[in-house]
Amino acid sequence: MKFLCVECDEAMRLQSTRGPDEGSMSVLFECPSCGRQIAMLTNSMETQMVRSLGVKIGSGGSTPGRMETIRNSLRGVEGLGAQAHPRNDATPPTEQSDSLEQAEDQQAGGKCPFTGVVNEAFGRQEEVQGFVWTAEAEERLGRIPSFVQGMVRKGIEEYAREIGVTEIDAKVMEAARSRFGM
Amino acid sequence: MKTYHDIVGDGGSNVVAQVAEQQRRMAIRLAPVSHIVAVMSGKGGVGKSSLSVNVATAFAMAGRKVGLLDADINGASIVKMTGVRREPEAAYGGVRPPTTAAGVRVMSIDLFLADDTPVTWDAATQKDAFTWRAMMEQAALREMVTDTEWGELDYLLIDLPPGTDRLPNLVDLLTRLSAAVVVTVPSQAAHHVVGKSIRMAREIMKAPRLGIVENMSRFVCPDCGNTHDLFHGDRADALAAQHGVPFLGKIPFDPRMAQLTDSGLNFIGEHPDSPTSEAIRKLTVRLEHLVEETSPVAQ
Repeated sequence: MKFLCVECDEAMRLQSTRGPDEGSMSVLFECPSCGRQIAMLTNSMETQMVRSLGVKIGSGGSTPGRMETIRNSLRGVEGLGAQAHPRNDATPPTEQSDSLEQAEDQQAGGKCPFTGVVNEAFGRQEEVQGFVWTAEAEERLGRIPSFVQGMVRKGIEEYAREIGVTEIDAKVMEAARSRFGM
Repeated sequence: MKTYHDIVGDGGSNVVAQVAEQQRRMAIRLAPVSHIVAVMSGKGGVGKSSLSVNVATAFAMAGRKVGLLDADINGASIVKMTGVRREPEAAYGGVRPPTTAAGVRVMSIDLFLADDTPVTWDAATQKDAFTWRAMMEQAALREMVTDTEWGELDYLLIDLPPGTDRLPNLVDLLTRLSAAVVVTVPSQAAHHVVGKSIRMAREIMKAPRLGIVENMSRFVCPDCGNTHDLFHGDRADALAAQHGVPFLGKIPFDPRMAQLTDSGLNFIGEHPDSPTSEAIRKLTVRLEHLVEETSPVAQ
């Protein structure tokens, strides 16, 4: 589905998403020329249909986690249900899994500038240095969906390493967000 | 005014790219798999899952690397029939499938659920779930194909649920399919549906490598060796000839196969000399000919 600003004859661009809230998603689009905004509101059936495609609205093309639909949507799931990031195993990657990582890195570019950092964090194999997260920073991290927390943590720690700090507080998190244009 | 096709992209979600990425990941995952074979039947109750398990086991015992995917999301039975442990293991890049004693790598939705837990999907409401339930099942199937660390396989057998629509759904999902084996029993009702399955397969697969196998073809008494018909319908080899499809063989019914397979034990390993085990081994040879495009002739 695409949205067109009729007056400007320009494709509208996704600005933000909200929800699902009681099954409904709100997806905000804006015309890049005149600034007019519209919101697409989905009902619970439509939200579930999008969910079943295994794609993310507003993610800019970020790659879903392994068995994401099964882990996050199947009721009563055991085994992998609690594991946000299946790539925790110490077993060395195989040539095939490296190829899968490369395929992820080569995915079509998306709007989300954080995607690159996420992909890089996904593919990293070396250990990340120990950082100290303040309680407030941990609390803020806990607010985002659990299945991306691991990736976001790695990205923020990478930023912290770049700027030479070892304590991650709310300020560092905000700076990381600004750096990635979020 | 611009039309849909005049606009590049979708404004920021890049859904088309995400779907293309799913296909690419699946292609990478399946690259080391030599042959993908769907085991299907238009009709339920013909012993398709049991046969899938035993064909996979026969292949493995003959030295082939085999995977078995339980594509029957709502009627999953392969975990129980193979006796694998319900402990899917996270691995780098995917989920490591458990293996049977014979070495068959198994993936099923049942691995993620406690015993007797039905498949239901989280949603804000289950009202009108019929509109999206099939799509969620297809997504789960896609993930089980793509996110399982199959590794190098000679054969990936996919046990489909009954129904003539299952093969086209699978063909839509997979990047490739080597062959489809249609399982039937010698009954008129089953043959009626098999005919539809063959027509559907031909329309969808264009140049299909199809084969028919007749399960429960007769009952061989394990004590005296006498044979008895279980059904009194037409023979499947005649059906195969009628449709111009290779006939892959007849599998006699052995109650021990049902008993051991239901218990997750290896029937072929326990009774290698039974007529049923012999017929299954012959089936694997003909199936190999089918996927390699040589002439599979059943006697």
